[in-house]
Amino acid sequence: MRRYSTKLRTKGVTLFIILGIIILLLPLLLKSPYQMHLIIMLCINIVLGMSFAMLFSTGLITIGAAAFWAIGAYASAVLVMNLNLSFWLALSLASIITGMIAFMLGSIIVRAPGVAFVVQTMVINMIVVQALGQMEFLGGWGGILDIPRPNPIGSIKFVSKTHYYYLILFLLLLTVVVFYALYSSRIGRAWRSIRLNPRLAQTLGINLFRYRLLAFIIASMSAGLVGSFYAHYFGTIEPNTFSVFKSIYIQIYGILGGLNFYLMGPTIGALMMTLVPEFLRVGKEIEPILTGGILILLVIFLPGGILSLPERMGSLATAFLSRIKRKESLH
Amino acid sequence: MTIDLFTQLLVNGLATGMVYVLIASGLILVLGVARIFNFAHGEFYMLGAYTTFGLCQVLKVNFFIAIISATLVVALFAAICYRLVFHHIRGNLLLCAAASMGLSMMFERGALIGFGTQERGLPSAFFGVMTIGNVAMPVEKMAVILLCVAIMLGLYYLLMKTKLGKAMRAVKLDTEVAALQGINTMRVYALAMAVGCSLAGLAGGIIAPLFSITPGMGHAMLLKCFMVLIVGGLESMLGGVVGGLVIGMTLSFGYYFLGGLSEILLFGIIGVILVFKPGGLFGEMVEEV
Repeated sequence: MRRYSTKLRTKGVTLFIILGIIILLLPLLLKSPYQMHLIIMLCINIVLGMSFAMLFSTGLITIGAAAFWAIGAYASAVLVMNLNLSFWLALSLASIITGMIAFMLGSIIVRAPGVAFVVQTMVINMIVVQALGQMEFLGGWGGILDIPRPNPIGSIKFVSKTHYYYLILFLLLLTVVVFYALYSSRIGRAWRSIRLNPRLAQTLGINLFRYRLLAFIIASMSAGLVGSFYAHYFGTIEPNTFSVFKSIYIQIYGILGGLNFYLMGPTIGALMMTLVPEFLRVGKEIEPILTGGILILLVIFLPGGILSLPERMGSLATAFLSRIKRKESLH
Repeated sequence: MTIDLFTQLLVNGLATGMVYVLIASGLILVLGVARIFNFAHGEFYMLGAYTTFGLCQVLKVNFFIAIISATLVVALFAAICYRLVFHHIRGNLLLCAAASMGLSMMFERGALIGFGTQERGLPSAFFGVMTIGNVAMPVEKMAVILLCVAIMLGLYYLLMKTKLGKAMRAVKLDTEVAALQGINTMRVYALAMAVGCSLAGLAGGIIAPLFSITPGMGHAMLLKCFMVLIVGGLESMLGGVVGGLVIGMTLSFGYYFLGGLSEILLFGIIGVILVFKPGGLFGEMVEEV
């Protein structure tokens, strides 16, 4: 038994290394800038999906992730353009500002769990979009244009998409490492116990409010981080990019991949939801219909997410085998 | 402020508010009984508006008959959607939300392909101005208000006095115990979905002469309805009524006095409610999902 599992583990490590090499060399494989753009947006979506999953790991469902993405993007753009800060400083400051706003909002809304939290995060998202649209010094509904590129480090000047790709890859990796460390620490165990049974967790001395608030802040900070990247990568930001419907998409990334996989789930889900519409571009007119149909079919037939597929196949196979056995024993 | 202006704004606010009340109470019914957070609710509203438009304009049917048949069409459509999609994932709030988002995407694009992007509108069914004392009110708005009040009273009757309504309330309280009492919960779920969505369809039909009809109208209305839910709470119909009226009045009066800032005022009110009553004015603290 033991030998079997180590064999599996080496297999996993090899797979992991091969995947890592492919991801690192991806700019060599993809020639067109549009494909690179897709991959960069995919990385942003993955981080956003992970921030949704982090809140879900404490039993909270948010439809407001895009709001913090927007706060990060606008904060970074203002810091760089109005205060003439360097991009690298603004990147971290934007994340911290987002975290502070999340702390203020979170200490109000985290108290009401369940459906009320869902609606509250959604309304916060609407308020943020509306407020950004109304503020004239932030460009109003037209948004901020001509956001400068990141300051060069050495010879890297951020002119081609490849440079941006490695930057977002680094940010993604940073998020994954931090989140993984948190999930495997005492804090992560507390979060999971809250999700499993909040009352039991409370009797064990876990402060529900504080742990949930911590998850809310960290998730928002990661969203703010990629928001800052997005602002400087895309060059223009406008309030409508960050609407509630983006947040709903982010939620779908988590659900599609599998809600029990806090890091892999959003990755697979974002991969599906970002790349499938591109493959369906043949029928550009009916693309949302196909995407919606695929979404519904996946939700109905794979309720545990795409990552539950092996498990489900296993259980189906077991059921099939046992039926055959039963038939044989009857004969 | 003259009494004339005040009445005008009041009637405007009541008319839009009552439309919000209709749609939001449908949303609350579906959420409470069938446990579906229905992101496709706005699309049913759009469907109701388009069906009314088609019947009135193309088939030249009477406006009232058109509204009633549009309601029935939307109810049937919602029941079919329930049986095909939500039936398989019933009880799971998150999966239902994702599936309804898929439905919403399909419907919106379907409407865009089927009906085109141009804005459409119906000629008004009521003309003229009503004068009480020396205050003038458009008959059209009054008709919308009266219709909506009548429908809400009908909904109250359905929920409180009929057997089906009793079954719905029982299922909302506790599904398993309701099933033990011999209530066919699957049927109640499907009927709640049909009734809730047909309310949205009905509202779509009623506003067809007032506003322009576009494939994207559902999204905008859905966002307004979420605000209604947060003001009134997710628990009770009463919350939906109060929330809808508060939002309608705020928008009507706020728009006259503050212009574009009225939305900010609205969000300010919502923020205050969020701080002091996180579950909404008439909601309790909702239990864990």
